[in-house]
Amino acid sequence: MQSGTFHSTYAGDMALRPYWPMRIRIILIIAIMLLFPWFGNRYWLNLVNTIGIAAIGAIGLNILVGFTGQISIGHAGFMAVGAYTTGLLAAHAGLPMWISIPIACIVAAGVGALFGMPSVRLKGLYLAIATLAAQEIIIWFLTKGDKIVQMATGDRRAVFFGESLSIPPAANNVFGIALKGNNDFNFYWVIITCLVLTVLFASNLFRSRAGRAMVAIRDQDIAAQVIGVDLFKYKLLAFATSSFIAGLAGALMAHYRGIISWERFTIDISILYLSMIIIGGLGSVSGSIYGAAFMTILPALLSNISRAASGVMPAFANYLPYIQQGAFGLAIILFLIFEPEGIVKMWRNLKDYFRLWPFSY
Amino acid sequence: MLKRWIGPGALTAALSVLLAACGGAPAATAPTTAPAGATTAPAGATTAPAGGETTTTAASGEPIRIGAIFDLTGATADVSTPYSQGQKAYVEWKNANGGIAGRPIELLSQDYAYDVAKAEELYTQFVGEGVVAFSGWGTGDTEALRPKVTNDQMPFISASYSAELANPENTPYNFLTAPTYSDQLVIAMKWALEDWKAKGNTEAPKFAYLINDSPFGRSPLLDGTEFAEANGVATPLEVPSPRGATDLTPQLTQIKDSGANYVFIQNVSSPAALAIKNARSLGLDVQFVCLNWCANELLVKLAGADAEGVVGTIPFSPTGPGAEVALNYAKEKGIDFGGADSNFVQGWTAMEILVAGIEKTVADGKELNGENIKASLESLTGYDTGGVTQPITFTATDHAGSKALRVFQIKDGKWEGITDFMTAE
Repeated sequence: MQSGTFHSTYAGDMALRPYWPMRIRIILIIAIMLLFPWFGNRYWLNLVNTIGIAAIGAIGLNILVGFTGQISIGHAGFMAVGAYTTGLLAAHAGLPMWISIPIACIVAAGVGALFGMPSVRLKGLYLAIATLAAQEIIIWFLTKGDKIVQMATGDRRAVFFGESLSIPPAANNVFGIALKGNNDFNFYWVIITCLVLTVLFASNLFRSRAGRAMVAIRDQDIAAQVIGVDLFKYKLLAFATSSFIAGLAGALMAHYRGIISWERFTIDISILYLSMIIIGGLGSVSGSIYGAAFMTILPALLSNISRAASGVMPAFANYLPYIQQGAFGLAIILFLIFEPEGIVKMWRNLKDYFRLWPFSY
Repeated sequence: MLKRWIGPGALTAALSVLLAACGGAPAATAPTTAPAGATTAPAGATTAPAGGETTTTAASGEPIRIGAIFDLTGATADVSTPYSQGQKAYVEWKNANGGIAGRPIELLSQDYAYDVAKAEELYTQFVGEGVVAFSGWGTGDTEALRPKVTNDQMPFISASYSAELANPENTPYNFLTAPTYSDQLVIAMKWALEDWKAKGNTEAPKFAYLINDSPFGRSPLLDGTEFAEANGVATPLEVPSPRGATDLTPQLTQIKDSGANYVFIQNVSSPAALAIKNARSLGLDVQFVCLNWCANELLVKLAGADAEGVVGTIPFSPTGPGAEVALNYAKEKGIDFGGADSNFVQGWTAMEILVAGIEKTVADGKELNGENIKASLESLTGYDTGGVTQPITFTATDHAGSKALRVFQIKDGKWEGITDFMTAE
């Protein structure tokens, strides 16, 4: 039995996965990731792709909220910036997505840093309201932007954003390889690659100087300043990084769905992402993924249960949609009551329980 | 001690639920093996007409699946609920009357709460379960599903009559069962201009829009404004009403200040009724004209006496022999759709038109796939809906099946037709 963690080399100390069980687990996960799309049908591929995109977005938000302690209710707005940047570049400039998505991420990072500026002076609830403004301003711009273009050009039918923006399928091109045929299957690989890169980036970020500075700001910003952390720089950096990843999630969604509208990026979605990271686990990369998966699978599961139930109890069928919504809320509340630290803590508890069994004290 | 158990216990429970889902759902979603329990088959589908079953061969006795999404809990639930009941009731009725050449129809339907992402998920799921046609709901989600619908060659009707969906060059598989929102607005304006003249006014009236702040609300405005300007009316004022607002006085004050005589409402019943009541207490003297989704019995119910005199463009008339069949069936089965006759009939008739296309494909002995159903729908000429709409005609270049509607007005708490069928031409 292990009595502690010992490392005899620096490389061992720095390893992300120092133990064999962890390595076996990651190999298993990689194997499942590689095999899944060959067996999953379209419904499951769609669900997993949705989770993948949500997980990328949630990791982005967790960097800001969970690691740096800056509350943001404008996450969906930053996703919209990414989605519309890549969408406009693809639709009007004909750029393939492997060029337009990185540009979209950079633009989103810029916009995020801009709206992150109030964070220097504002904290907690006040910052939440400032980011809420970002959300509303971005959505306002998307819905009313056409009016500005129309007034400027005098052409009432001029369309820039439009009610919905179609992305030409020709833009779905990675390094010259056109993504044709099974859209869900192709995008699975794109999304999973982006997710893996995001996970690697985020896990390593908090082992670097910048990441540790962010964590120091979260824990006690005055103390961080005293020991020489430049608050303005690192808060902006956190906003920019978070928005960069949000932009990636938004841009992937735009190309995957083929059509976008501002309705996908409302404040409800910002709050959904906040609940993902709270349920998954604040300040945890894997927690973001668990949270994204939970918040995507639970409604789908409830909807399937309700469909099954309405076949068994037709008289009851009319009330099922309401029960479904109630059950969703209830599940979230129960989760928060029994494990406020999120799914990631539950997973840890479970591991500890089996690791220490039968002497679990 | 207890706390130590709760964490792993809850997780194990959660995991087992998830596993159950993973284990059960793939089977439920596999195209060929959907168990009956996993579908929302209406009672009629399970009790498929015995007479029909015996006359067909075993292979063709399997149900024909149609997918549908409804908004039963979201922003437009007030009108979507009766619409959904109409669609379900039609399928039940059709199955009780022999189905499609003896084969029962199975309607896979689910609430999507006016959420685009949820609509996509359900669409994918139902397509995976082998539906041959789809009935959608809102403008936002119908737009969002456009690329998928085209890609999957899935004949698609929806309760969104956005003019963008009528051109088969862009949306080859979308079919409109009613005049487009643009046509509806133009017809409403035509009526308004005549009404204004009939009241003895010589100068042009002033128009304003009070709309749902969404693609649905804004859909007809450009075409309406062009028509208004071509007829010498100043550019109408556009006032969006925020979703979920409980007081529209600020919006109405804006309209009052603009001096508008006619206010065209493109919204669902509940906010429209709120606007009409607010306007009354504000002393705003305008003629309200409701387009499709607020011109129904719910508006009368919600706005009460204040709704008196409101005009509406109702594309699916709740009178006539076709509507009687639907309404009588509802009465017989005790279906409670909250008195929204026109929305119930609308859902019923929309489904009837879609089924007519499928029926024609079967009658022609062609394989049931998207391409064939599309071709059958496109060959529907003058399909009679029993006076609910003008006869429906789709062509390969025009997917707006109906171009005309009657204008109604609320008199003594009831919608009464005040014009004959009008077109936007």
